[in-house]
Amino acid sequence: MTSTTVNNRSTGKVMIRLEDLTKRFPGQKHNAVDNLTLDIHEGEIVVLVGPSGCGKTTTMKMINRIIEPTSGRIILDGEDVTTTDPDALRRRIGYVIQQVGLFPHLTIGENIATVPKLLGWDSKRVTARVDELLEMVNLAPESYRNRYPKQLSGGQKQRVGVARALGADPDVMLMDEPFGAIDPITRDRLQNEFLRLQSEVRKTIVFVTHDIDEAIKMGDRIAILQDASKIAQYDTPEQILTAPANDFVSDFIGNGASLKRLNLSHVSDIELTQWPTVQLGTDHDQALEMLRRSDRSALLVLDESGRPRRWVGADDLHRGAGRPLDEIGLPAGAMVEPRATLSDALNELITARYSVTIVVDAKGIYQGVVDIEQINEAIRGMRSSAVARARAGLAEGAEAGSTGGQP
Amino acid sequence: MDFFEFLINRSDDMLELGIEHAVLVGVSVLLATVIGVGLGIATYQRERPREVVLAITGAFLTVPSFALFILLIGPLGLGAMPVVVALTMYGLLPIVRNTITGLREVDPAIVESALGMGMSRSQRLLRIELPLAWPVIITGIRVTTLVLLGIAAIGAIVLGPGYGELIFTGLARVGTPVAVNLVLAGTLGVIILAVLFDAFFYVIRKLTTSQGIR
Repeated sequence: MTSTTVNNRSTGKVMIRLEDLTKRFPGQKHNAVDNLTLDIHEGEIVVLVGPSGCGKTTTMKMINRIIEPTSGRIILDGEDVTTTDPDALRRRIGYVIQQVGLFPHLTIGENIATVPKLLGWDSKRVTARVDELLEMVNLAPESYRNRYPKQLSGGQKQRVGVARALGADPDVMLMDEPFGAIDPITRDRLQNEFLRLQSEVRKTIVFVTHDIDEAIKMGDRIAILQDASKIAQYDTPEQILTAPANDFVSDFIGNGASLKRLNLSHVSDIELTQWPTVQLGTDHDQALEMLRRSDRSALLVLDESGRPRRWVGADDLHRGAGRPLDEIGLPAGAMVEPRATLSDALNELITARYSVTIVVDAKGIYQGVVDIEQINEAIRGMRSSAVARARAGLAEGAEAGSTGGQP
Repeated sequence: MDFFEFLINRSDDMLELGIEHAVLVGVSVLLATVIGVGLGIATYQRERPREVVLAITGAFLTVPSFALFILLIGPLGLGAMPVVVALTMYGLLPIVRNTITGLREVDPAIVESALGMGMSRSQRLLRIELPLAWPVIITGIRVTTLVLLGIAAIGAIVLGPGYGELIFTGLARVGTPVAVNLVLAGTLGVIILAVLFDAFFYVIRKLTTSQGIR
């Protein structure tokens, strides 16, 4: 399922090709980036991830030539841009950095209008575009357009940073640890918002981070980089987690690869289990009868519109005789929506009363439950398909290796 | 004759000398600003030229003003010319230094994002770096103005215009009752001009600095 999502999203066209890209900074003995070749497909988020000093940021900054490569070629949408006018190149590429770098003396609207104005758009078109972008990043244009950056929170600034990078609707975006300086809760929200935005705009994105969890969350493909931007593995997050190419990759992923994998599947991907339910207002004898016939120790009480209300066990039914069902037992917590990840579901499950997570739709209506068995099943499934793919890759790799070995 | 009577009798003189003094300083500040900001822009990014420029403009300030005025009589003669040239030289340091400081203090992330969006060198300088450095630069210009108002008075030694004339006339008549009044009037004139220029720069700074960085 995983590699097909990537393929669906991507048109298969190579948007950015880096060919034998090398950078040596003056006065240094070793190359900061050494002979890197990488294809980045249209519409994908490719995450460059690696320990600090591995050359990931240098690599990214060579794409818009903020850092000029020592040798090698950069091909953007089929065109060699290694020696073209760098300013024209940069206007075609959105650029977001960790510190955001909003222009403090200009309003939010003026900041976002920067590239469109550089490209000479007329003012009507610029104004319309600014408002459109502010809405896209969930900031109301009327109240934010004329504010200054200092009046914004960190998270809002980064949203404006993204809007500014999208200014002239570039095909390609470069993002250097864009959420690195933001508190974890806001970061999570911004990441989700950004993924939703990306599902609409479908840009080709090169995303740099040192955080493997962020890489797994954001990336359609991940390039794990070692010293001098040597690629340790370039693959989908699923493949990297299930079939790390070498020790460097396994070490870098660290512990808990299985748990991390749970972030990649959603509750909607698995078949839900059904739990015995009972409507509010059902009398206790009937409820007890239902409980007896099921193999569970409690019933889930639903209200008139089908929203989960309470857990009711046999004891509760005996002791609370005569009282309505929503006054006995325990409140039904631990609910997730189908778009939640299995990791979220597992998290709820661990703390939940009957070791299940209730799944409800967007309106809060009961859909089914997830238990530990299903999560186990999902992990097993992922592992076997990833291993199969890795073995297929092994065969191809061996052939390529033998032909490559010929002089 | 007390001081106030003296001022009232000489009020026409006071006004005329005041305008001369202000124009003299204004022209010098303008020249020092154009040259100083230019030198700052030309050198702020590279360490060597930056240090050379600061050393030279700093050295100007150590030349005693009396000596400089007199030395300039040779090439420039008497009157306003040698005074304007000397004042411009004295005025450079605060402006150059603040221009360099202001430009270097602009957050590198801001400059990088301007670069990344495809602004050319001159667009980055004019639209981003100079507006952000401006409050620091204008503070330098203000300091220069105050320094030059005082030094300009000494320009009367080479027959330069302004309140210095009153002070030097007073000096020549030391011992007579009018001498003190002359020197006091000249000094008062300079102080009033200083207050007016300061208020002027306060307003200009307010009007020309973006709300976003105030």
